[in-house]
Amino acid sequence: MQLIENIRLAFTSLLANKMRALLTMLGIIIGISAVIMITTIGTSIQKTLSNTFNSIGSFNIFDVILDWEDTASEDDMISREMLDELITKYPEYFSIEMSTDCGQATVRTPKGETVTVAVSGALDIKPALDHLRGRTIQYKDNVNKKNAIYVSDLFISQYFEPGVDPIGQTVNLTFVDNGLSGDFVIVGYDKLPQIYEKQYPPGMKKMEKTSPVCIPCDTYNEMVHQEPEPTYYAQIRYNTDYDIDMQQKLLKEFFEDKYKEKPGFSFLIINEQQYLGMMDTIINVVTIAISVIAAISLIVGGVGVMNIMLVSITERTKEIGIRKALGAQNSAIRMQFVIEAIMICLIGGIIGILMGIVGGLAIGWLAKMLVTEFYSEYAELISITIQPSIPAILVSVFFSILTGVFFGYYPANKAAKMNPIDALRYD
Amino acid sequence: MSKTVISMRGIIKRYYIGKPNELQILNGIDLDVTEGEFLAIVGQSGSGKSTLMNMIGALDRPTEGTYYLNGVDISTLDDTELSRIRNKEIGFVFQTFNLISRTDALKNVEMPMMYAGIPRKERIKRAEELLKIVEMEDRADHQPNELSGGQKQRVAIARAMANKPSILLADEPTGALDSKTGRMIMDLFHKLHKEEGTTIVLITHSPELASECDRIVTISDGSIINDTGVRVNAVD
Repeated sequence: MQLIENIRLAFTSLLANKMRALLTMLGIIIGISAVIMITTIGTSIQKTLSNTFNSIGSFNIFDVILDWEDTASEDDMISREMLDELITKYPEYFSIEMSTDCGQATVRTPKGETVTVAVSGALDIKPALDHLRGRTIQYKDNVNKKNAIYVSDLFISQYFEPGVDPIGQTVNLTFVDNGLSGDFVIVGYDKLPQIYEKQYPPGMKKMEKTSPVCIPCDTYNEMVHQEPEPTYYAQIRYNTDYDIDMQQKLLKEFFEDKYKEKPGFSFLIINEQQYLGMMDTIINVVTIAISVIAAISLIVGGVGVMNIMLVSITERTKEIGIRKALGAQNSAIRMQFVIEAIMICLIGGIIGILMGIVGGLAIGWLAKMLVTEFYSEYAELISITIQPSIPAILVSVFFSILTGVFFGYYPANKAAKMNPIDALRYD
Repeated sequence: MSKTVISMRGIIKRYYIGKPNELQILNGIDLDVTEGEFLAIVGQSGSGKSTLMNMIGALDRPTEGTYYLNGVDISTLDDTELSRIRNKEIGFVFQTFNLISRTDALKNVEMPMMYAGIPRKERIKRAEELLKIVEMEDRADHQPNELSGGQKQRVAIARAMANKPSILLADEPTGALDSKTGRMIMDLFHKLHKEEGTTIVLITHSPELASECDRIVTISDGSIINDTGVRVNAVD
């Protein structure tokens, strides 16, 4: 009923003693800002890690590593047939992340210039996040031995006039290693990854730059009359729409079944995301632990609030007496002082949150600057993301209010229970 | 016949009950006040008149005896109910004004209405009217420390009238004022008494002020020693 009145009253009372109110809030401000700063740093590290991993692209992949005790021949390795069988058996779960080096190739542009490309043979390329036009090389291109090619925007700008739609156009590749050549149809292109851009010396002319392109590896193998090479290491992309542990189990069973006749061989299946998950957990635990320590200062701050409330109530004994004489019920007096304590804590909490965010951002920017300064070659890879922790902010607001209620109740109750006659007589 | 506002029977107040220094302040007070009276309670300091005032003002409960205020037995009520009685039925005017500092005149007058749960707009309207009655409307936004003693007391009277109380209870209202300002305050009481028909209980040690009232009750050593009854032609 009198909530707004009480808030107004609390403000008046706080404004009357600005310095005292500020000093009282200091404990709360320090406690909350420390918690917010630490959680901001914690969540920023997590975000940075996951974004960096994402941008490198080693996400949602099982590394399948074959291990053996004595010796192993090529026949014992993971063959293409095995991988083909895997994705035929579980098309909804798995795809193969694999690329082979096909060496460099030269392309003559319609204008008669020559550009060099670095060709890799791919089985199935995960579509890139945002800049993809057309499509990537897919497994079916391998099955059908399609002459498909997937290029970068750098190549597009080298080969085509601006405004030409490159998708569906044919380019002729001449492989440097063996002199073979073939026509390939552009199925899609993407923005050239930063990591390539970094490799070109500054001032290099556009036409001199070698850009990466992808063709289906089986198409290349057929061109050079070569069988796919067996490997002891395969990268299997899983489907995030399904349970990861289940897929990992399926994968393990599949390969163990393949090697059940061959004792001494074993498989290691690693999910890189699990490492990230573990790291997340560690950062979380550390963040929470430090936050709890920081939060202890909240208790100290709360005791300060209680102390000041007791002083304030003694000072205002007469006022309490007058209010009671005018008909204020005990509950109204109690509410007035509890709200005053809450206001101190809440305002302190909000200032603390703002200071914590500013502090966290400042530390983040500092980290970003240091990375750019000392590790400039990786700076583009590490995408530092500074993000305040929203749950921590909400919890802080809640705890500020709670501190106010907890440490304000005793003094407020003391005020409420004053005898009006004694309070009126107080000077 | 007029309505009885206050009806006290055998009011006794003791302090430090059961202790060696037990003290009896009121020795069985019988007092009836009817609506529209302007009553003075006079007595020396230590006579028990302040204790009687606390009793009338529902700030305290008697140790023994019954006190009916508008038909409600005050002696049996709990703290919350007493608060409500003080809020609705009693308007206090103190010797030291007792305005709330750092709170302007208007807000001070609003305060009893706030505790009565009256909506803000209505409160402000009524507070402005009351300030007009006490001729303080142009000082509504002044804080107590910007007002003179007489002005403070007029604001305090406006505040006392806020919830249209059954009794205006004034405890030495001119005690802290010079005689000229004190006169103005007394005139204001007479005006309220005549024009608004307010029941006023004035507590004073001054026989001169008491003589202006309709009725004088003299108290000494915790007992009523003289009651003039309502005199028709009291000095105005």
